[in-house]
Amino acid sequence: MASISIPIPLRERAKSGVLGWLATVDHKKIGIMYMVMSFAFFIAAGLMALLIRLQLAAPNLQVVDPNTYNQLFTMHGSAMIFLFTIPMLVGGFGNYFVPLMIGARDVAFPRLNAFSFWITLGAGLVMLIGFVFGARSDAAWTAYVPYSTKAYSPTVGMDIWLIGIILLGIGSTLGAVNFLVTVYSMRAPGMTAWRIPMFVWAMATTAVMVLLATPVLTAALIMLVADRNFNTQFFVANRVQLWQHMFWFYSHPAVYIMILPAMGIISEIIPVFSRKPLFGLRAVVISTVIIGLLGFTTWVHHMFVSGVDPAIERFFMFTTMVIAVPTGVKVFNWLATLWGGSLNFKTPLLMCLGFLATFVIGGISGVMQGSIPIDQYVHNSYFVVAHFHYVLFGGSVFGIFAALYYWGPKITGRMFDEKLGKLHFWLMFIGFNITFFPMHFLGLQGMPRRIATYDPGRGWELGNLIATIGAFILAFSVLIFIINAIKLRHGERATDDPWEGNTLEWSTSSPPPEYNFLEIPTVTSDRPLFDERMRTPHM
Amino acid sequence: MVSPVTRDAALINDLYNVILIFAIIVFILVEGLLIYSVIRFRRRSADEMPQQIHGSRTLELVWTVVPAIVIAVIFALSVDTMSRMTARGTLSNPVAHVHAINDVAARQRVERAQPVDLVIEVIGRQWVWQYKYPGGDGVMTNEELVVPANKNIRLDMTAADVIHAWWMPQLGPMIYVNPGEMSYVWFNVPPGEYIGQCNVYCGVAHARMISKVRALPQAEYDEWYAKQAAASSAATRPGDPEIGRDLFMNGSCIACHYIEGTKAQGKVAPRDLTKFATYPTIAQLDGFENNAENLAKWLRDPQAIKPGTAMPNLNLKAQEIEDLVAYLLSLK
Repeated sequence: MASISIPIPLRERAKSGVLGWLATVDHKKIGIMYMVMSFAFFIAAGLMALLIRLQLAAPNLQVVDPNTYNQLFTMHGSAMIFLFTIPMLVGGFGNYFVPLMIGARDVAFPRLNAFSFWITLGAGLVMLIGFVFGARSDAAWTAYVPYSTKAYSPTVGMDIWLIGIILLGIGSTLGAVNFLVTVYSMRAPGMTAWRIPMFVWAMATTAVMVLLATPVLTAALIMLVADRNFNTQFFVANRVQLWQHMFWFYSHPAVYIMILPAMGIISEIIPVFSRKPLFGLRAVVISTVIIGLLGFTTWVHHMFVSGVDPAIERFFMFTTMVIAVPTGVKVFNWLATLWGGSLNFKTPLLMCLGFLATFVIGGISGVMQGSIPIDQYVHNSYFVVAHFHYVLFGGSVFGIFAALYYWGPKITGRMFDEKLGKLHFWLMFIGFNITFFPMHFLGLQGMPRRIATYDPGRGWELGNLIATIGAFILAFSVLIFIINAIKLRHGERATDDPWEGNTLEWSTSSPPPEYNFLEIPTVTSDRPLFDERMRTPHM
Repeated sequence: MVSPVTRDAALINDLYNVILIFAIIVFILVEGLLIYSVIRFRRRSADEMPQQIHGSRTLELVWTVVPAIVIAVIFALSVDTMSRMTARGTLSNPVAHVHAINDVAARQRVERAQPVDLVIEVIGRQWVWQYKYPGGDGVMTNEELVVPANKNIRLDMTAADVIHAWWMPQLGPMIYVNPGEMSYVWFNVPPGEYIGQCNVYCGVAHARMISKVRALPQAEYDEWYAKQAAASSAATRPGDPEIGRDLFMNGSCIACHYIEGTKAQGKVAPRDLTKFATYPTIAQLDGFENNAENLAKWLRDPQAIKPGTAMPNLNLKAQEIEDLVAYLLSLK
């Protein structure tokens, strides 16, 4: 790997201590702050999920009253999506690793980057503090009108929720601009399109989706705020479907915003731990981009029973099903990467295998629901709850933990305890499936989502009890991760490249210096570090 | 899936079962390859270096084209099911929305769509389904819809407040019931009792917005209907607190009202009803003394007594009011 020297830019001396974090414009520190923030929201939203599961453990329980229950599931969904999954993947890993993987010293607009973080944190705190002090929305994360209008949700909690999401949209839009410019203009010499790491491809595609989708949601949110407070009539005078169109035009792509980066992560990890190149790199890149584009053409499948013209529904059934093809291509390419490899079962790979094993179930149930007649049965039922948790927990969250175990040593300079990591993986994998698999059956037996309780005799008792037990196993597994993260302080020191990585972040120290690379590397293949190792006799 | 009792529900069920076969095949294939790889390709020595395969155009073509074909088949099966769920020349779907309540042309299309024996107006409101029968006898029920079995029934549905969804899993497709719009459902069911519930989150008592359909043989239905028609005009016996309690606990009252130690855990109504009889007034209205006569007036039409109250007019029958009054005044 040849290198060229570019002088390290003279910055104000990095401040240390608290001020060093508050005033930082370093993409790595900002990335760490995103990760810590997102993880804290993950814990908060996870505790809400435990209360939800306790309430549903048996018929007619009164762990929480129905009002509180409705506020809990609203905040659980909103926080998991907007305050955990998206900021963790995009803000956290994207920030920290996109510049490192393309051999850059920072993102294109470091100050804008800091602004994105602080506005995201501010929005999150507004939502959470509002929640703690009783200003809570109970309109679900979908906030359908007219339920979310002043007439039916008169409380200020609804306005706080709306304003929080608007601010988050600003933060993520600015972040997307930053990523696109960074990836476009700051790649190391020699990093042509097909040498861009898969994770960076995924982040760039995600950034385009954020940029195109978010304004529509922001517009809808502002229209609703205006309807509620300034007596406009956007959603009052129109058919109820208007909100649903605008909401899902963002929120379906949001699913891909949450899954594409996780797919990017496992596309990085599987080759490293198999000692093989990613099978069909170009096909995976093209599939990623196609998923990103098709992601904008499927939103009406959330509205198959809400009163859309049947001919239009048929078109959206087609596009919904078609998106399974590029997704399938990626799954088979990952399997083919494993095939014939030399598999090193460290925790990061286990998490990727967990992703593959569970995500495929979410993908299959997605195609099933894409069929209009079947959706007319399972829509809004627990089948859907099972489906999207298989995609977003089985996919995104397993991907996030894969990344934390894989990149944790790079970020902290310390190695995780492998034994605890494996225990975490197995408990999470088992707990996850015990929690969410029975929900398929609950949905098929007619259990709607978002109900605060249920009467006995509908055949829902056993499934709910099992799911609640699973949820506690799941929570326990996360506790083990937290212990493992605390133990990291005394963990074994990480070398620059503990996993025999392929990409540029492993060429610098762990943790990397503020300027990332002393000399900007020149890239000659899609696996620069692998090639480097092949040239040096001892590995 | 719960056992279907209508033709459309059976079609959905059949389609589900066919697609499930594809799903299981894909599931076994992917998980099988995964498990096999995990067992077979374990790293056996630290310096092991597998063959560096970058891809295979043939293989990749196979796993693009084959899934595409499977998807095409599932799409075709779905469209076919959709077309069989309706008779030709009628509405393109047995469940249909009309976007304006007063759309005359759409209404005519609905009227022509399928011959029906009984049309019932359905209103979804927070948090009860209400059914108005035709015939001018003032017959109306809450929560439970009673219909003649093996007859073609059409429900003309709208919502009074927010969006609700009509979902009777055994009876066929689900449909949103939107405010300001009409939704139509056709069905024809054998005798029996069927249960479902509102399937769009609609507020605090969403979980209690149950829908029941009881299908009776024609003779029994006629008898039931005659009784209802008579009961809606005058009470036939004095109020019974036991019957009143059953009405309260099995109806939509519990969605909003709270009575300690019972299933009624609603938190919408401002006052706890545990000791209702000890309150001096009804609905916290000055001068509206809490007695049997006033309570009956209140239950008959709450809006007339206290405009703007959250308590809806449940169109209770005279006898039901007598029983509820007896029950409520027994809460001391």
